[in-house]
Amino acid sequence: MKLTNTFKSAGLAGSLVMGAALSAVAPYAMADQEYLLTVTRPNQLHVIDMSTNEIARTCDIPGPFGTGSIAMSPDNTHAYVLSNGTKDIYGFDIRNCDMTFKAEQSSPTLQVISMQSITVSADGTELYTVQNPVKKHRDRFEVMQPRLAVFNIEDGMNAKVVRTFPVDRRITKIATTAQNEVILGGADLKAINPETGDIRMVSKLANWEKGPLWLPPDAFAMHSQGEQANEYIMPYVTAKFDSEEWNFETAEWWWGMSRVDLETGEAERVETIPFEFIIFNFITDPRDSNILYGSFNTLSKHDISKNETLAVHELGHTYYDLNISGDGKTIYVGGTSSDISVHDSETLDKIGSIQLTGDMSTSDLRVATIKD
Amino acid sequence: MALSNNNSKRALLSTGVLALAGLASTPLLAQDAQQIIRDRCLACHTESGTAEAPSFSRISEQRKTPEGWHMTLNRMIHLRNLQISTEEKRALVKYLADTQGLAPEETEGYRYLLEQDTNIVETGIEPGTAEMCARCHSGARFSLQRRTEQEWKYLVDFHMGQFPTTEFHSLARDRQWFDIARNDTAVKLAEQFPFETNAWSNWKAADKSDLMGRWRVTGFIPGKGEFDAWMSAAKTGEGKYDLDIEGTYADGSKLAGKGNATVYTGFEWRASLTIDGVKMRQVMAADKAGNNLEGRMFLAAEREIGGDLMAVRDQGAADIVAVQPSYLRSGVSTELTLVGQNLDGEINLGEGVAVEKVVSRSKDRITVIAKANGAEGMRSVSVGKANAELAVYSELARVEVQPANAVTRNGGADSAMAKVRANYRAVGYSAGADGEAGTDDDLRLGYMPAQWSIKPADEVAAHDKDDKYAGMINAAGIFTPGDAGPNPARKMSANNVGRLAVVASVKDGDTTVEGEGSMLVAVQDFVRRVLD
Repeated sequence: MKLTNTFKSAGLAGSLVMGAALSAVAPYAMADQEYLLTVTRPNQLHVIDMSTNEIARTCDIPGPFGTGSIAMSPDNTHAYVLSNGTKDIYGFDIRNCDMTFKAEQSSPTLQVISMQSITVSADGTELYTVQNPVKKHRDRFEVMQPRLAVFNIEDGMNAKVVRTFPVDRRITKIATTAQNEVILGGADLKAINPETGDIRMVSKLANWEKGPLWLPPDAFAMHSQGEQANEYIMPYVTAKFDSEEWNFETAEWWWGMSRVDLETGEAERVETIPFEFIIFNFITDPRDSNILYGSFNTLSKHDISKNETLAVHELGHTYYDLNISGDGKTIYVGGTSSDISVHDSETLDKIGSIQLTGDMSTSDLRVATIKD
Repeated sequence: MALSNNNSKRALLSTGVLALAGLASTPLLAQDAQQIIRDRCLACHTESGTAEAPSFSRISEQRKTPEGWHMTLNRMIHLRNLQISTEEKRALVKYLADTQGLAPEETEGYRYLLEQDTNIVETGIEPGTAEMCARCHSGARFSLQRRTEQEWKYLVDFHMGQFPTTEFHSLARDRQWFDIARNDTAVKLAEQFPFETNAWSNWKAADKSDLMGRWRVTGFIPGKGEFDAWMSAAKTGEGKYDLDIEGTYADGSKLAGKGNATVYTGFEWRASLTIDGVKMRQVMAADKAGNNLEGRMFLAAEREIGGDLMAVRDQGAADIVAVQPSYLRSGVSTELTLVGQNLDGEINLGEGVAVEKVVSRSKDRITVIAKANGAEGMRSVSVGKANAELAVYSELARVEVQPANAVTRNGGADSAMAKVRANYRAVGYSAGADGEAGTDDDLRLGYMPAQWSIKPADEVAAHDKDDKYAGMINAAGIFTPGDAGPNPARKMSANNVGRLAVVASVKDGDTTVEGEGSMLVAVQDFVRRVLD
């Protein structure tokens, strides 16, 4: 990492240098320590101290890279990662890299992948994935119904599925609410009760009833990293046509989202800002739920109460995802390549950079807050 | 191997005898090929039916081109751990293409894919399959397959098993992709491209012509130009030929080479030749009588680089196979070469076209100085009983760049993939009777020599200096894209990608007429397929 540069920039921004100094002198003095988690190729989980922007430790994940999808235990001390082409799940104590959990979802006759879908129960005892099973006959595949799979975390290194319930196809990110429902991010946003398998509609997307002039939304959550605002975001793109001529040129194009409050399990679905450029991942400012940030080729800041883009910062390359410090002051932009770009959330100016050992590719960029 | 087991390591134990059978020149008996399937494939596939008419699961319910079967076998080797010798693989492709191939008319309209001439914008693909299939594949890829409905359905499940992200792609995640694919698309494909057709049963029953003999060949090799040649095909086995080719480029230089050909399905000519040290491939289709072959020849190492190829069998009759160039500008004395065979008798270049001088004359090649007068239009050319056509024009009205749309790819440098280049030609047109260029009655004059250049496709491409970074075109019309990898000199360290216009400037008298093609210089495609 470019330590010197980071510190120079941090000095300009003010706040970071303070945190860094404190942490260097008295590492246990901080009550809540924030760590940035991401996975790089070939297959390492990095735990980055957000007070210094230095890699605190790096945990080797067995098997080939999956997608770098990460879920955290409620106390944030453990991280669970999809590995081996998203077939296997490994759990680590991020305080020491001890491997505490392993589940192989596939067998020789059943190929099971989870497309980003991994989360931990509200009480930290169970781990949930959405499995997409395909039966491997001798000379053909047979596609099976996807299902929510439940693992007992205390089963440790040889965890097996203890319950399954059928779910829709095309589910990506999932998240657990305080009521321990699992939000299923698919064509519509639904929630499943992992005890009973009961499913309720949270927010209609593919089946929304917005009228014929609205294009059915293209909703997709490769990442949904709402831990700092305790929420789940499913972003989408839609268009409002001016007539049934379906003229794509004159249509109004919008970014929208279904945003679930993970405290209540309730969702709002809104068109947020006009579609002017690609945003691959949105996060909410923990201080103001109207302020969103997005990343892809640009880092951008938006006030959705006014449908306005407040600031746009051109990035040096594509970054798939982003996250934010708990105080809302610092933005971390990551994914894709091997560096995390650090920005001031007020100005979006770049204030630092964290160099990793490999490409993050599609990996999550999570914040784990370990309370003292 | 099986999708689920790993018991095929035995496969190599019984290779010996069969490998020799594949090398021998005796015709491959159906029983031999069936035995290869039994020995190599039944770890996963199952046999049913009778010993005389066996049926193999997943295999016997599909028909494909030779390339299609080749791809299937590659997939079995690379993904399913099939253990098979090269000779056995060749024998199986031949047997399967011969017995479960496509009839000539079933390949019509899609031969560009077999000819690897893929710088083309496909039209006429049914909108449903265009969205479901042709968003990733060429339309020709699935249009050149015939399957039972069950097999089309199994293909959908294969996609989900092998490429689980399929249903999450853009244009998939916004719909019930899997249900549509299996319950709608597969059913439609089975109707549009059914396993059983009259065309195939008729072709299977038809007498096939042997393609041995002497062939009068005309073609184009990028960087070398148009050529004419004689190619002899000496039979070495059923559908197997040794080839010898000798000829002359338009600039007078000579070409020579040797190779061999295999004919699949009774009409699919596939040849490998080394011409002047360069390995080339020929993909042609024979007509029903087996007297004409038409297709494309391209570099074995770089299938994008190639040109048209035609061959007419020498049957002793007089024939003009090409007039080079194919046009005369009115009032200008021009050297013209008539390429053919058994050319005897009077040379007549058509109304108002005078032969000013016969430069050279043989039975297969006549060079004259000719001068045309009179109205624009096609002229009937004859030498004795042989006929051809020649275009006469007074003014070049427009130039068409071929290919009109092309994709090339960055490569080289430290990349695992070589650069994907493209070669260009310019076709001239006169305005025709209405005097207006770009209308239906424009007269196609033929390929014309051009000066080649590139420019940015639009303002954005100009701003990004795509013309500086994305590649270069040479005097022969061959475009070479830039090196692979991020370029720190570009905005966001972009790769040397770009959107360009490829410009052909053709001299016509005192003026120059330009035509433009559209070029997308893209990043590497890391998957190399037999058929795209």
